[in-house]
Formats: sequence, structure tokens, C-alpha cells
Amino acid sequence: MKQSMMINGKEHEIDVDGDMPLLWFLRDRLEFTGTKFGCGSGLCGACTVHVNGQAVRSCVTSVSNLVDKEITTIEGLSEHGDHPLQKAWLNNNVPQCGYCQAGQIMNAASLLAVNASPSEDEIDTAMQGNICRCGTYQRIKKAIVEAADTLSKEV
Amino acid sequence: MSISTLSRRNFLKTAGVATGGLVLSVALPGNALAEKGIMKDANATLNAFIHLSDNGDTTIYCGRCEMGQGISTALPSAVADEMEADWQRVSVKQADGDEKFGPQATGGSASIRVMFQPMREAGATAKAMLIAAAAKVWKTSPDNCFAEKHFVINKTNQQKLGYGELASIAANMPVPEKPILKKKKDFNYIGTDLPRHDQGEVIVGQRTYGVDTKIPDLKYAAIVHCPVLGGSLKSIDKADALKMKGVSDVVVIPRFDIPFGSIGGVAVVADNSWTAQQAVKKLNIEWNLGDNASYDTKAYKKQLVANVEKPATLAAERGNIDTAFSNAKHKVSATYTGGHLSHAPMEPNASVVWVQKDSCEVWASTQSPADIQKVLGQYLKREPKDIVVHVAMAGGAFGRKFKCDYVHEAAVISQETGAPIQLIWSREEDMRTGYYHSINAQHIEASMDENGKVTGWLHRAAFPSIGTLFNPSLVRASAQTLGDVTDHLFGIENFRAESGDAKAHTRIGWYRAVYAIFYGFAFSTFADELAHKAKQDSLTFVTQLFDNNKNKDQQEQVQRAKKLLTSVAKKSAWHERSKLPKGQGIGLAVHYSFKSFVAMAVHVEVNGDDIKVLNVDCAIDCGQILNTDGATAQMEGAVVMGMSLALSTEITFREGAVVNSNFHNYPVMRISDMPNVRVHIADSDESPTGLGEPGVAPFAPALSNAVFAASGKRYRDLPFKPMPV
Repeated sequence: MKQSMMINGKEHEIDVDGDMPLLWFLRDRLEFTGTKFGCGSGLCGACTVHVNGQAVRSCVTSVSNLVDKEITTIEGLSEHGDHPLQKAWLNNNVPQCGYCQAGQIMNAASLLAVNASPSEDEIDTAMQGNICRCGTYQRIKKAIVEAADTLSKEV
Repeated sequence: MSISTLSRRNFLKTAGVATGGLVLSVALPGNALAEKGIMKDANATLNAFIHLSDNGDTTIYCGRCEMGQGISTALPSAVADEMEADWQRVSVKQADGDEKFGPQATGGSASIRVMFQPMREAGATAKAMLIAAAAKVWKTSPDNCFAEKHFVINKTNQQKLGYGELASIAANMPVPEKPILKKKKDFNYIGTDLPRHDQGEVIVGQRTYGVDTKIPDLKYAAIVHCPVLGGSLKSIDKADALKMKGVSDVVVIPRFDIPFGSIGGVAVVADNSWTAQQAVKKLNIEWNLGDNASYDTKAYKKQLVANVEKPATLAAERGNIDTAFSNAKHKVSATYTGGHLSHAPMEPNASVVWVQKDSCEVWASTQSPADIQKVLGQYLKREPKDIVVHVAMAGGAFGRKFKCDYVHEAAVISQETGAPIQLIWSREEDMRTGYYHSINAQHIEASMDENGKVTGWLHRAAFPSIGTLFNPSLVRASAQTLGDVTDHLFGIENFRAESGDAKAHTRIGWYRAVYAIFYGFAFSTFADELAHKAKQDSLTFVTQLFDNNKNKDQQEQVQRAKKLLTSVAKKSAWHERSKLPKGQGIGLAVHYSFKSFVAMAVHVEVNGDDIKVLNVDCAIDCGQILNTDGATAQMEGAVVMGMSLALSTEITFREGAVVNSNFHNYPVMRISDMPNVRVHIADSDESPTGLGEPGVAPFAPALSNAVFAASGKRYRDLPFKPMPV
């Protein structure tokens, strides 16, 4: 029987080995390359996507566990790249090389979805699993706070 | 024929473009580089291309490689500024590997230092030609016209012509002999905080990196290397790997014994990266480990310490250190060490290579396309120019992607299989078989008189140098490699530098800031130790060390360094440090490297063994600033990298091989450790210099000095708190 998952609102048949991590299904099978490979062991957060709205490390999540699940990648976070986090990222000139930033943004989006106004400590705790080797942490924090402010004004 | 006439002749080319527009290709004058003595090859053509379509769309090519340092915004913005282009109409493209773009090897914090002036001239030349074109149309004199935001304007009647309308006419205008450059007060983009050109793509996942290259019929490869430098394959059983669904080939890659060639390994080719990675684990391999099989960094570091704590090979000498030492009121000595480091950029080594009978095409995250051309040319026995290199954005590099062993490996696999190959290294391979920052030891002895004036300084350093990549028989760093010790800006009348023995047992490579990491650490930490011994405050003491420098050739640098240190102390809480709560302290350091000056004041809180960095004030003097936000970002990043290497990261070898494997046992800094970083940029009209690396060096010594001020504990070994592996 055919199995599938929803990715960014569109159904995709799972036509690969069920053990294949979502990361490689996205990157090599579907050629959605916005989600990045960093460590392959869930240690760096570069591959973060949402499964049913929650941040997961796609490099250690097999596709067989994702049947009928809703996946959101950086490409699908917002229709026009205008999620408050994306806007805050631009406003604070966060990226340097930018490689980890999809994972950072997806992880932060998952945080804000459950905690609309996180404290600095809560941001640290939530974002601790996402490495940025260029060292943009100060701006990431600032951008998350700014996005949280925007979101609180929208409510 | 002089370089300038050569380049003038090649200066201008016109060509139709497929879209029907007209293209003004403005080649870069070579004279600016030649005059500075940077361009050694008089026959090289130096071009920076500005493409201007008849609708006004402007493409500016960036010849230097982008890896996050922001060069592909900084340099094109200088072109656009001089050209009076509207940045909104400009798109930036990364240039392929081609000598017409000038030196593309991106390292040594050199891009802005080398290319700022030529890029400005390229823009100014284009502007002059556009003005000449408009003057021709209006039958007036060019002096009666000026350019502004993508238009040329007639001063008499305020008529306007757009750059797009003028493109084809401008292309036939004579090339001005000496383009007139703008004055600082007239800059639109230079010296501003212009955002990076590609941020919009990053935040929606559309910015592509080397690892994201997709071409038709692509096959995916993973690799495992011989864990020890110089080892070789003894036996291999491929059966289990080949049985896996989706696996098509196993390719043995012999060690290619040239700089940047493969260390030797075995690759698996499959229809996706994951399958290839799984299959690599099923290879049954035995290695001959070779001569470096007993390399053990703990023992080796001990040996380096022993080698610097006894007389070593003379590198440089001034005055008479023996007399200074025998007349000393105080004598102080200390030994500093540091470990190997792995660059660990977030994007592992990756490239796509397709070797065909008559062509070879490469897509790679790289810092040096010319080295790819050289290495692949040598391997395939083809001319370097026949290797086409598309330079991809690198997801971090920090020196690692200067070395193209991973591209060479993809070429071998492609040649063996006939398929276009994407080879991605696993994080484990990146960490275990990379090129490492030198493990190192330094020993300093100094004498002071009764006033605390430093009268003599003996500096011994031992570390396997990068030179060993090119000459493996080197047994110690050369006098030239110790040049930054000898030429340090502290004024020391009686001085001796010695180089201790240090053979290389792994590949040593440039790592962001290179030797400045440990030179900066030793100089600025030891100065603080001397200040303590002399019962002086560190700022006064170091200022005195600069004042003692009577070398006329160094006066300008000495003054800039001194001024910067003084200013960073003022920006921080240094002068109020007596009021800090118990357990807090501030440490200072200033270091001159890669022609730029960076001073830091690090404010810490120490609780037992726990070190919390609260604030970092960072003052920079890099001459005329090109992009203030880019400069600030580089300093923030340098603090983070400096903190990783000061506190926690170290590569450990045992039985010849690296023990670390991934981020769980190579603990790079994470967000919760981020201090508040404030960057202060000195206003300067000096020639601009680079900032990619200079920020790293002063952090570790400033931290050591801060921890000492806070707790009385002195850290002399990098990293201060290594993770046991």
C-alpha cells in the first residue's frame, strides 16, 4: 500500500527505504535543499524541520515514522518569506554563511508556537541544540525577541 | 608592454547577451594591484566584470570566494558606489574560477586589502564611460554631466538618461586613463551598514551552497579515509556494501601525494547520500597505518613543552639578551600551549564533479578555485584551464575549504564511474581526517629592571607548521614563520626568538587566524603576567611596552595598537573595575595580525571552575571601513570562535588517529554561552584591511587575563577546560 506524508501542504509518496531519514528524502529524493546536513546525529540542529508543528531533527527521523504526518520545512514556513522570525532575521542581519539559519529559524518558530514571549533563559534552553559556527548567536537572540514582540502585538 | 597597457587593451569588451540586451563588460585595471606589488605575474589579466543590460539591470561579479564573511556584498558595493549604480538594480554573482577575475584564493584576510582599490576603479571607469556616452548623445561635454543612482544627468537642462539606455553607447566609449575616484564624503554604500545581498534567500532556504548542487543523473558518494596520515589500504571486502540496494560502485582512492590531494580512502557510490553513508559502514577495511601510527597528542604536547623549555634553534636576535638577563631585577618565565583544532564549518566538505572524456566540470564550496584547477589538472593530466570550476557559496570554511582534497576525491570517483558525482563527507570524516590548526607550545622568559621596564625577552615556539604540507621533511617552524614573534609591536631591546623541534604527524592547515591564535595568546597573556609581577596595571604596562618600541618602521602600527587598547579600556568597565562584584574581572588584549588591529576587553564572572563571559568590548582599526555591519558581524563571530578554542575545543590523537568524531565530543560554543558583544570601529582614512581573522587572536589572552583578575587563577593552556575524550 502506498504511504505518504504532507510536506509544506502537499502530499508526497514515500517511495524510499523506510529507514531513510527525512533529511535525505527531502534533499536527495525531492530536492528540497533548504534543509541542511550538518552532523547526521541530531547534534547540531542544521536539519531542523517541523513535524505536526514541532521541531525535530530530520537527520535522525526515519520516513517510516512520518506516514500521514504534516512536515514543514524552511521553504514552507510562510508563503512569502514573511513569518515574523524571517522578518526579524532580515531586520537584524542575522546570517553570515547562513547554512545553519534554516534550522535556527525552524527551531525558533517551534519555540514561539508554544511560548509566545520566551525569557532569555528560555531562548537559550530552546536554541541550545542549534550550532552556528559563524557565531551569530547574539543576533539570533535579538531576532527571536523581536519576533516575539511582533507576534504579541498581532494577538 | 606594461601591465597597464595590457589591461587597457583588454579593458573593454562588448557582447550581445542571449536576452537581447547589451552588455558592457568592464575589465579591471591591473595597475592598482601591480603598483602594490601584490600581483606578481605581469601577464595576468585582471578583470572584474560589470554587466549592464539595456534595461538597466546590473550584474556585478564577485571574484573572491564567499563563505559567510560578506565579501560578495562588500566588494560589489564598492563597485556600485563608484559607478553611481542603484544597489536595488544590482545583482551579485559569484564568479567562476578564472584568472581574469584576479587572485581568487580567499584567505589571509586579504580580499578587501587587495581588491578594494581595483574594484573602486572598475566602478569609476564604468561611470566615466556612461557619462561619456550621455555627453555624446546630448552633444555636450562630459564635464557638463554627472551620474546619480543609475542615471546620467545633464547639468544644463536637467535631462536624464538611464544606465540601461546608455549601455550600448558606453560600451564603445574610450576607456579613461585614470578614472577619478569619489571622495569619502560622497560615498553612498562604502562605510555604511549595507545588508548582505543574499539574506532574503537565506531566510527562505533558497540560498544554495556547494552541498546543494543538483545536476541531472547525479550519483551520490560517501567516503571513509585512512585514519592515519601516510597510511594505505591493506585489504578490503566490498561484498556487503555492494549488496545494498541502491549501491552501484565502490571506488578505492589512493593517497595522492601532493598538497591538497586526497589522504587516501574508499568511497561508495549510490543513488542517494544516505545509502552511500550506510554502505561505507559495511565496508570491511584493513589499513596499513604507516609511520604516524603512534601519534599521541598528549605525549606530543609534553615533548613540545620540553623542546621550548631548553635552548632551541635560533630564529632571530636583537641586542644582547644574556646581558639583559644577568642585570635583571625581576625574571619571569611561563609556558603556554594549545591543541589541534578542527575548522568544523557547518557545511561539511562537499562538491560535485563530472569528469568526461573532453571536459571536467566542478561545483564546489571552495576558497580557492585555482587550486582545484591545479590539483585536478595534475591528477587528470589536463591543463588547469580545462577544469571548469563553479564556485559555490560555502557554508562556513574558516580555512578548511582552501584545501581541495574532497574535490579531488569526487574527481577520482567520477573518472572511475563515468557519472557526475556528489561527494559529501560525513561530519565524522571531517573531524577525523581534516587539516588541523597546529598543536603548539611557547616558552617566554623576560627580564625587567627596577622600574618594571622589560629589558629582555626570550621567546621559544614549537609547533608543526603549515610548511610541512609542502615539505614534509621540515622538523621545525622556519625563522620566517616566527616572523610575527620577531616583529611583534612590543618594544624590546634585547630579544631572541628560537624555534623548537616539531615534526608533523598529521596534516596542518590554515585555521581562521592561524598562528596569531597562539602568538597572540602568549604575548598578551605574558604581558599581563609581567604587569602583575611589576605591580602595575596591565593597561599602563602594555602602553609602556609599546612606547618602548623605537623602531621607526613600526611607529605608525605601534601608535594605532596603543590607541586602540586605550580606547577599548575606556569603552569597557576597565577603569571602574575596582567596583566590580567579587568574582568578576576584566582582561585586556590587543593584537595586530593580517594588517588589522583588534583590541578586546573581556568581562567575566568566575565561580570555582565555572567561567561565564559577560561582556566583550571589541575595538577594531582596519583602516577605512567598507561595511560597518559586516565588520561588526566578523567580530561577533571571532569572539564565538575565540571562545570555543579558548575554553573547550581540541582535537586529540591517539594511536595515530583522531579520537573526536562529532559535536558531542568537539564542543563548539552554543547560544547559552553568548556574551554581550559590543564592537567599536575606529574612524580611519588608512587603506582598508581585512577582518576575517584578526578578531580571533585577542580573545583568548583577554579571557585569561580576565579570569586571573577575577580569581587569581592563571590559564596558560588552550583550551582552558578541555573535554575528556
